[in-house]
Amino acid sequence: MNPYWGKGFFDFFLTLFSRLFIWIRGEPITLVSDEVQLLVLSGVAIAASSVGVFLILKRITMLANSLSHTLLLGVVLAYLFTFSTLHESRFIDVKILLVGALIAALLTTLLTQMLTHFMKLQEDASIGLVFTTLFALGVVLVTLFTRSSHIGAEAIMGNVDALHPDDIKLVVLVCLFNLVPMALFFKECRMITFDAGFAKASGLSPSLFHYLLMVQVAATAIGSFRAVGVFLFLAFLTGPVLAARLWTQHLSSLIFLSIGIALFNTLIAVAFSRHVLTYFQYPLSTAGLVVTSIGLFYFLSLVLKKIWKSKFKNATISL
Amino acid sequence: MRDLSAFPVAVKVEHLTVNYEKTSVLWELSFEIPTGTMCAIIGPNGAGKSTFLKTILGLLKPLSGKVEFFGKSIKEMRSKIAYVPQRASVDWDFPITVFDVALMGRFHKMKLFKRAKAADREAVKRVLEMVGLTPFSDRQINQLSGGQQQRLFIARALLQEADIYLMDEPFAGVDVATEKALISIFDQLKMQGKTLVLVHHDLSSVEDYFDWVVLLNIGLIASGKPAEVFTPEALMRTYGRSSHLLDEVSKLVKHKASGLL
Amino acid sequence: MPSFLDFFLDPILRAPTLGSMLMCLASSLIGAIAFVQRRSLLGEALSHAAYPGVVLGVLFAAVFFPEWEELLALSILIGAFFSACLGLWVIHKLQRSYRVSNDAALCLVLSLFFGLGILIASRLQFTHSLWYKQIQIFLYGQAATMTDVHIGIYAILGLVILFLLYLFYRPIQAISFDKYFTESIGVQVPIFESIISILLVLSIVVGIRSVGVVLMSGMLIAPAIAARQWTHKFSILLILAGAFAVCSGFLGNYLSLQIPIWFHLPNLSLPTGPMILLTASFFCFISLLFSPETGLISRCVRMISFRDRRYQENILKSFWKKGETPLTFREIANREAIPHWLMHFLLYRLTAQGWIVKTGKRTFQLTLDGHQRAARVVRLHRLWEVYLVDYLGQHAGKVHRSAEEMEHILSPELEKELSELLKDPKQDPHSQPIPSIKEIL
Repeated sequence: MNPYWGKGFFDFFLTLFSRLFIWIRGEPITLVSDEVQLLVLSGVAIAASSVGVFLILKRITMLANSLSHTLLLGVVLAYLFTFSTLHESRFIDVKILLVGALIAALLTTLLTQMLTHFMKLQEDASIGLVFTTLFALGVVLVTLFTRSSHIGAEAIMGNVDALHPDDIKLVVLVCLFNLVPMALFFKECRMITFDAGFAKASGLSPSLFHYLLMVQVAATAIGSFRAVGVFLFLAFLTGPVLAARLWTQHLSSLIFLSIGIALFNTLIAVAFSRHVLTYFQYPLSTAGLVVTSIGLFYFLSLVLKKIWKSKFKNATISL
Repeated sequence: MRDLSAFPVAVKVEHLTVNYEKTSVLWELSFEIPTGTMCAIIGPNGAGKSTFLKTILGLLKPLSGKVEFFGKSIKEMRSKIAYVPQRASVDWDFPITVFDVALMGRFHKMKLFKRAKAADREAVKRVLEMVGLTPFSDRQINQLSGGQQQRLFIARALLQEADIYLMDEPFAGVDVATEKALISIFDQLKMQGKTLVLVHHDLSSVEDYFDWVVLLNIGLIASGKPAEVFTPEALMRTYGRSSHLLDEVSKLVKHKASGLL
Repeated sequence: MPSFLDFFLDPILRAPTLGSMLMCLASSLIGAIAFVQRRSLLGEALSHAAYPGVVLGVLFAAVFFPEWEELLALSILIGAFFSACLGLWVIHKLQRSYRVSNDAALCLVLSLFFGLGILIASRLQFTHSLWYKQIQIFLYGQAATMTDVHIGIYAILGLVILFLLYLFYRPIQAISFDKYFTESIGVQVPIFESIISILLVLSIVVGIRSVGVVLMSGMLIAPAIAARQWTHKFSILLILAGAFAVCSGFLGNYLSLQIPIWFHLPNLSLPTGPMILLTASFFCFISLLFSPETGLISRCVRMISFRDRRYQENILKSFWKKGETPLTFREIANREAIPHWLMHFLLYRLTAQGWIVKTGKRTFQLTLDGHQRAARVVRLHRLWEVYLVDYLGQHAGKVHRSAEEMEHILSPELEKELSELLKDPKQDPHSQPIPSIKEIL
C-alpha cells in the first residue's frame, strides 16, 4: 500500500520526512513509486544541472540538443533490436539503449564533422540536417519492421510510472560520473572554460575537456531518458543554471545553487503531481510538471531580480 | 634554477608554415628573437600575427617548421613561458572574481588536486597591488574597464614567473594611464633579463618602446633592431601591394588543393 | 497502386499530397533565408515552442465546438501560431534584456515550452484519448489524414508567405547579406527582421501537420543546403530551394505508398513526414556530391586533373631544359620519377594534344606550342623565385621547392603583377635566364 496515496501537497512532505526519519533510524523501508520517481528525478536534476553550468558557460547548449535527438535515434535502434530479438518487450533494456546511443552518437558526430570539414557547411545547418535525417530514417525503419510507431511518445516524454529501483542506481552512477571529476579538477575546469587559450598554453587540454563534457552530457541524457524523455532533460540543463546566474558570481556557488534549484523544483513537482492525483484524480506528466516548475521559477527569479535591483538603486540614490 | 637570461636566443623560428582557417597563413618564417629584448610583431590585419603567437605556443599546428625557446622545445619550456591572450578571446561575463583569475597564474606551482595555499594568496595580493587592482580584488570581472581587464591579464602573467612573456595586442583599447603603467612594468621585467614579445598595432610607438622588431605579412619582411629594420621601405613592403600578392597566391593554392577551382 | 495523377485528383490522396507540397514550398523559402542568416537553429526552437499552442488549440476546439471538425484545424493553427510567437518573443527578450546567450535562450525556450505542452497534454491522455491522439499527430506529423480543408488553409497561408516575400524581397535580401550596412542606409531593419521571424513562425505552423514538430527544422534546412550547392545568387537559391522542397513533398507521399509495395507489404504505408524529410535529405546528398562547383565528386575530378596538368608541365619542362636534343622515354621517366605505365599514358596524351612529337622509336621532341608552354612554366618558376628572394628575404637555396608548386598555379594576371612589381627581371636567383614574354607568345 502506497503511503502517499490520498495525500495532498503538504501531507506529501510530511509523509516523506517521516519515512526519511524511519530510514535514518535504521529500519528497513521498501521504496514506493512516488519515492522512486523522486529519487530518479532528483538524480537527473543533480546530474543535468551540474553539467549544464559548463554547457551554458561554453555556449554549447544546442550541442546537447543535437545529442538528445541522436539519442532518440539510438532509442529507435535499441527498440528495433529489442523488438526483433526479444519480441514482446515493453521496456527497452538500458544496456541495449546504451549501445544504441553510442552508435547513434558516433554516427552523428562523424557525419557532422564530414559536412563541416569536407563540405564546408556551416555548423548549425549541418547539425540540424544530420540529426533530423538520422531520426527520420529511424522512424521509417521502425515502421517497416514493427508496423507500429508508438515508441515515439514514450521516448519524448518519458514515463515516470515505469521507473524501477534499478533506474536509481543508474542515475546515481551518472551523478558521480558528472560530479566527481568536477570536484577533483575544479580549478582546471574553471580555467579551461574561462580561457581555453591560456589553459592550452599552460599545458592543459581544452579539447579533452570538451569531449569528456560531451560524454557526460550523453550519459546524463541516457540516465534521464526513462524518466523525462529526450527533450525535457534540456530544461534541466538550462533552466536552473540561468536562474542561479542571477544570484551568484562565483562558479562554485553557481553549481551548488543550480543543483539546489533543480532539486527544489523536482520536489515540488513530484509532490504536486501526487496532490493532483489525489484531489482531481488525473495523472499529470511529472516530467512536464518539473519543467513547468523550472520555467515558473526562472520567471519569478527574473521578476524578483528586477525588483531587487530597482530597490537597491533607489537605496543608493537616497543616500 | 638555470639562468636563462644567459642564453642568447629566446625564440628561434625555422621555416614555420601555418595553414589556418580561410585566410591568415604564415609562410616559411625563419628568424630569431634575442634574449632580454622587448620585441614588437608588426603587420597589417590578417597578416598572421596572432596566428604566429598561437603557433609557437603550440595552440595551433603548423604545416611545417620548427620552434625553439632558449634552445629547447616548448614542451620542456612551458613553465618558463607566459601567454597573455587578446582580451576579446575571453567571456568577461564569466562568474569569477579578479582574485581568482590572477590566481590562475600560480597554477604551475599548484598540483592538480590541491587548493591554493597561503603563500599563493600572498603572491596574488602582491601582484594585484603592483598593477593597481587591489580595490577590485573580490569584484566580478564584468565590472572591470578595458584597461583594468588588461592589467588583470598582466597580473596573471606576472605570477607565472616566466622568462619570456608573449602578449597579443596588450595595448589595444586601453587608456593612456594603463598603457604607461604597463610599460613601466615591462621595463622592470626587461631589467630582470626577461624577454617580451608583443603583437603591436600602433606604429608610432614602436621606436619608443621596443628594441627589436619583426615585420610580418604572412611571410617575413624583416627582423632586427628598429633603427635598421623599421624603415619606410620595409614598411611599404609590409603594408603594400607586394605582400598582398602572397595572400592572394596562398588562397589560390588552398583552393587548388581542395579542388574548388 | 494509384497512378501519378491520382495523387492530385483522388479525394483521399490529393489533400496529403497538395498539402505537403504547399507546406514544403513555404517552409523551404523561409528556411533558406534563415539558413543564409545562420539562424537555422531558431526554427528548431520555434517548432517545439509551437507544441503547447497545438495542445491548447485542440482543447479549445474540443471543449467549445466539438461537432465542428473544420474548426479543429484552424484552432490548432492559431494556437500554434501564437505559441510560437510567444516563444520568439521570449527568446528575443532573454537575449536583449537579460543577457542570456543565443544558444541558451533557444534551448531554454525549446524545452520549457515543449514541457508545458506535454504537461497540458498529459491531462488529456487517459480521459480524452481521442483528443490526445489529435495532439500526438503533431509530434511526427500525419499527412495522410489531411482533408481538403487543410489544403485550403495551407494554400492561403502559403500565398500570404509568397506574397510577403515578393513584396519585401529587396530589403530581405539586403538584410540577409549585410545587416549593418543595410541599417546604415536607412532601412528599418528591426521591422523586417520581425517580418522574417513571423514568416518563419507561419511556415512552421503550416508545416508541422505534415512532418511534425520534431522533424520540422529538417524541412527548413535541407532544401536550403541542397540549393546552396548549385548557386551563389539569392534569388536562384530561393527558387531552387522551393523546387527541391515541392518535389520532396510529392515524392514523400508517393514513396510512402510505393516502398511498401517494393517490399511486398501492400497494406502498410510508411509515415509520410519522415519520408518527405528523407527525400529532401537525399536531394541534399546528391547536391553535396555532384554539384559542379562545390560537389565532392566535382572537386575530386578537378584535383585529379590538376595533378595531371602538373605531371604534363613537369615533363614539358624537362624537354625545355634539355634544349634542342630529343629525349628518350627512359630519360624522361627517370628525371620525373614517374612510374612507367603512367609515363606511357602521359606521353601519349601530350603527343595527341600537340605539345610533343615522336621523332624516333622511343624519342620525343617539343613542338613549337610545347616549347612556348614549357617556357611559360619556367618563367613563372623563376619569377616566383625572384619574388621570394628579393621581397620576402628568403635564402636563394630554399626557394626552389615553393617555386615548383607555384609554377603550375600562378594565373596570367598574377604573372603580370609579379613582372611589374619585380620590374621584369632577366635572371633568377640562381643566375639562370628568365624566359621573356616574347618567348612565350
